[in-house]
This record gives sequence, structure tokens and C-alpha cells, in this order.
Amino acid sequence: MELPAPVVDYLQSEFLSQTRPFCFLIDDNYRLIESWGRNDWCGLTGLETAVDMREPAPFLVGIDISALQQFEFIETSGRAVVNVHVIPADGQCYIVLLDAHRDHASLQSKQQSVNELRLMHGRLHKLIERQRELISELIETRSELDHHRRDAERISANKSRFIAMMSHEFRTPLASIINYATLAGEEPTSSNDVQKSIETISRSARHLTSMVEAVLDDASLDAGQVRLVEADFEIYSLLDDVAAMMAPLAAEKGLSFATQIDPDVPEVIHADEVRLRQVLINLLGNAVKFTLDGGVRLVATYNDGRLVITVSDSGPGISLEDQERVFQAFERGSRQDATGAGLGLTITLRLVELMRGEVSLDSLPGEGCTVSVHLPVQSAAGDAARSAPVLPTPSNDTIATKALSILVCDDDDDMIALVEHYLHRSGYGLITSSDSSEAIAKTLKYDPDLVLMDCNVPGVGGVVAARVLRERGYAKPIVALTASKLSDEEKAEFTHFFRKPAPMQQLLTEIKRLTH
Amino acid sequence: MTPVTSKVCVVGDFAVGKTSVVERFVNNHFSEKYLTTVGVKIDTKEIESAGTGIAHKLVIWDVAGSDRFGDTEFAYLRGASGYIYVADGTRPATLGAVENLREQIAGKYGPAPSVLLVNKRDLTSEWCISDERISGVSGAYDDLYRTSARTGEDVEHALTRLAGLIIDNDFRGA
Repeated sequence: MELPAPVVDYLQSEFLSQTRPFCFLIDDNYRLIESWGRNDWCGLTGLETAVDMREPAPFLVGIDISALQQFEFIETSGRAVVNVHVIPADGQCYIVLLDAHRDHASLQSKQQSVNELRLMHGRLHKLIERQRELISELIETRSELDHHRRDAERISANKSRFIAMMSHEFRTPLASIINYATLAGEEPTSSNDVQKSIETISRSARHLTSMVEAVLDDASLDAGQVRLVEADFEIYSLLDDVAAMMAPLAAEKGLSFATQIDPDVPEVIHADEVRLRQVLINLLGNAVKFTLDGGVRLVATYNDGRLVITVSDSGPGISLEDQERVFQAFERGSRQDATGAGLGLTITLRLVELMRGEVSLDSLPGEGCTVSVHLPVQSAAGDAARSAPVLPTPSNDTIATKALSILVCDDDDDMIALVEHYLHRSGYGLITSSDSSEAIAKTLKYDPDLVLMDCNVPGVGGVVAARVLRERGYAKPIVALTASKLSDEEKAEFTHFFRKPAPMQQLLTEIKRLTH
Repeated sequence: MTPVTSKVCVVGDFAVGKTSVVERFVNNHFSEKYLTTVGVKIDTKEIESAGTGIAHKLVIWDVAGSDRFGDTEFAYLRGASGYIYVADGTRPATLGAVENLREQIAGKYGPAPSVLLVNKRDLTSEWCISDERISGVSGAYDDLYRTSARTGEDVEHALTRLAGLIIDNDFRGA
């Protein structure tokens, strides 16, 4: 059944208005015979009969005009989009062009979205592939690193075992050398030259032994063979011991040596005493060894479960570059002239780390060096009463707030020990002497910040010593601490005068007043 | 003198740079914006055939990208004297698409002069088709070029080479 005529007319009118058909007839040589319809929209204007239509309409090139066919969406160089219908008729051919720009635009927009999504998907796929590759490479690299690490650990363990074995092999003959040298030295018939040679042999052997000990310690730490033995012990006692060991070494070099223990430091702590002692001896030994002028100071504080022991010196300091190296085994930074195996700080660091602590270093060339050890330690407070020291700790307000040294001259060892106890714990560096003439020499040489002088001492005596010091230009305080009764004239030689037994708190207060 | 006219079809997967290659060759221009081709775009360029001096007009059919052709696309290719196959050096799958298309076209219309362009040479950091892979397929084409429509690298060489092959095939051989 055919559509009603008005509907057909309407559809025909709509189709023609939307597609704007342009039709032309060509012969078998593509030459124009006749054309119909609007041609302004498709760029084929001004056509003359007999023109080769492949020139204005190049899409005809290669097209077989003897077969019925159609082509969708041809975009011409004039940027019109056409659907082309090829309709052969009796050796000639009708070519019909329909405007397809609306359908083309709609399809182009959809296809554009689809293609962009596909491109994005492709890029994503590529990224995922790359991620997989990187993960594979990472796994492979980790595996290689693990392999290298295991190799390195095996080599390191072998090295440590070798060093430990060699160190043991060295120690036995060294012990023999030292013992036989001692025996030989005790031989009364030995000449002076022989004695000197024996002393040199002994000294060298002891030096070699200490180096072997250091190497053995380092190897043991390297091999993980060092185990902490923790117990309750008196930290004050340990610090006093270490100070007593180091102070004479400092004094030999004319250095002041001060110990300052904060009152908050518990009397008894729970830690490995032997290893902590080793750490302190290493640090103080280094400080004394490398300091040529000035002094060494040991300060202990305790806060929130952490014991901080700081060793500072007025030595040559360490450059930033060397600071990274000095904790490495066999490194001495720029101090290539120093003796020793170069293991002291390495061992110190490893021991502190074994004790779950940290070591920090603060230094600048020419401005001394401060090494701090931070240790988490438990305070064994319950034992405090049992182990409380006989002598009380100086109060906070008498503690020195800057590096100062004091020369103490007294021939009574007990008095020296007592004064040393208080002055060390108040943070002063000490130079001691039991002879007033020697005290004059040491004062003029080391220029202490205060002289504490007994009057009845060997040599020229305290009063004369004070007078000589003033005559020779020593202008700092000289305090008399004596059991003798002094005349006013004698008292005038001193900045201040104390009669023994002086209250220590009062003495410390006066010393701080005079030196700060 | 009337130029010799040849129909050349540019085929390959979507977004490999076919339209950009034609735009570079015909108008010496490149646009960074990607615009999908729907159907076919027709451009013409007249060149002088190398060696012979013959004026050679190329009617270039830039066919919408696809990795496989149907009846509509085959209709576009009818009467083509030569083919420019284009792949994207940053997308290995597009070389496979070109291989599919070449086999389809050869099966339908028989052998014809062709050149393979592996395009986007300028994207060196993203380039991921190995020389071995390209060499492995290049024997099926008369010539192979690594091109960049963006910089113009080897685009003109490739098309003039195809034009020469067409002259040899259609006229000298005839």
C-alpha cells in the first residue's frame, strides 16, 4: 500500500531540504553532460559542459562508473561532507551528491570520544605494564641486594673471625715479651743502656697490646659476640673512678680536668658498668690525647629516663667532613699523626648502640669537640639509700656555668681528695700540687682561674707563694685555705681567707663568686 | 601538459597520524589537536616525478582509522594505485593492525605499490617498537620510513617514493 500523497510530498520536501541533492550526468570519459540541483554547498560551481569532472570532483578518480555504488562521508578539499551515489545509465552515469555534514558531525563527535577513551585505556595499559616491569625489576634488584648483603655478611664474618684469631695469636707472644722484659728489667746487673732498651721494648709491647685489644673488641662487636651484662651499680662511683684515672693524664699535659654531675643523676642505675666504663675511657682518653691546651670536662645529666654523659675538650676540633668518618673503623679523620688503631670511636659508637643509646658529636675546627652519649637507663632508686655516697653532692647554685680551672695546692692527700670531690662535681677543672714552689710554676704555666692555697705546704710556703705570684703578674683570685692563723699582713696577700675546716658549701659559693 | 593522476589511499589504525601525515605533505602544516576522521578525507597534491619530470597529481584518500576493514572501507579503496600504511611507533599494536589491513587489501585487490610509515618518530622517550620488529614486517612493503608528521621527518620522502613506485608500476611497466 502506497503512502498518502501529502505524506510523500512532505517526506520528499524534508529529504530534499536536508540533503540538498546535486546531480550531474557524465559520459564514459567522465565529461559533464548536464547537471541539476543546488551546487553552492559542495563547491562544484561554475561547471561547464564537457569538462572532465575528475578535476573539480577528484573523488571520481579511480571510480568505476559502470557499476551502481555509493560512498559515505567523503570530505572534499572544500571541506563539504557528501554521500556520493554512482548510478550508471546507458553508457553514461549519474552522480548524485547528498549533503551529509549533520550525520557526519554527529558520528564524528561520538567516534572522537570513543577513540580518546581507547587511547586513554592504551596509555593506562602501558602504565600498568610499566608498573609491572618496575615491580619485577624491584623484586630482582632486592633479590640481588639480598644476595650481595649475604655475601658481604659472610665476608665480614670471615674477616672478623680472622682478625679475632690473629689478635689472639698476637696477644700470647706479646704477653711473653712484656713478662720477659719485666723480668729482664728487674735484673740488677743490667746496664743503663740495657734498662732503657728494655723499657722501650715494654712500652712498645704494651702499646701493641692495647691496639690488639681494640682490634679484638671491634671484631667481637662486628661478629655480634658482645653481650651486655646489666646490673645495678653506682654511677657516681664509676664517674669518680674514671675521673681519677683521667685527671692525672690531663695534669701531665697541663690540662684542667673537670667533672660535673647533675643532682638529678640517680645514685644507682641499671646498665652494663664494664661497657659504660669502656665508653667513657675511650671518650676521655681521646679528649686528653688530642687536647694540647685548655682542658677536658665530663658532665653527666639525667632526664626522663635518659642518662646523658658529655665529654668536651678544648682541642683542635673536628671538621664537618671528618665528623662523618671518625666513627668508621681505622679512621682518624685528619689526625693522621695520632697513635692508636683508630678504633676508639668506632667501638664507642657500637657499644652505645648495643646499649640502645646514641652518640652525638658537636665540633668545629679550632673550637674543641663535644661528644655526648645518650643512654636509656633505669634508675635503681630502691638501692639509693644503701649506696648513697659519704660526701654530699654540691648544690645547683654553686655549679660552674663556664669552663674554669682551679689550682689546688695542699700536701694533705685527704684534703686534696675532699676538695677535688667538690670542685670536680661543681664542674671545675683541677690542677693539683703538693708543693708551693711547684704551685707557683704551674700557676704561671697554666694560668688557672683561681688558686686555692694551703699556707703550711712544702716549698716556699703558701704566703710567700701568693706574694711571688702577685709579683710575677698573676692577677686572678688567690684563696687561702689553711689551718694556720695568719696575720693581717699575711691575709692581705690573699683575695680571700678560709680557716680549715671550712664549710665546703661556703667555699664553693665564694669560689663561684670570685670566678664568675 | 595534463598531469598523470593517481589515487593513493592512506590506511592504518586510529590515531596513528594518517591525517597529520597528509596535512604535512599537502600543506606543510601540523596540528597538535587530535581530530578523528570519519569516512574519508580527500586531498590532492601535484608533484614532479623524480627522474622523469612527469607532472604527477596524487589524489590522496585519507581513510578513517581501523584495524580491520569492512565493505564501506573497501569501497573507498577501489581503484587505488598505491597505499601508504601508517603505524604509530609508540603503540606496537598499530603495527599489527597495519599487517592485518595489508593482508586484507592484498587479498581483495591484489598487489600494489606501498610504503610503510612508522610515525611519531619525535616521541623518542615513548617509542617502543624495536628495529627488529619493524625489520620483520618491512619485506611486505616496497619501502619503510620512520616518520614524524610533527617535524616533517621523512614524510615527503615517503610519499614521493610511493609516487615514483606508482609511475613505475602503472606507466613504465604498462
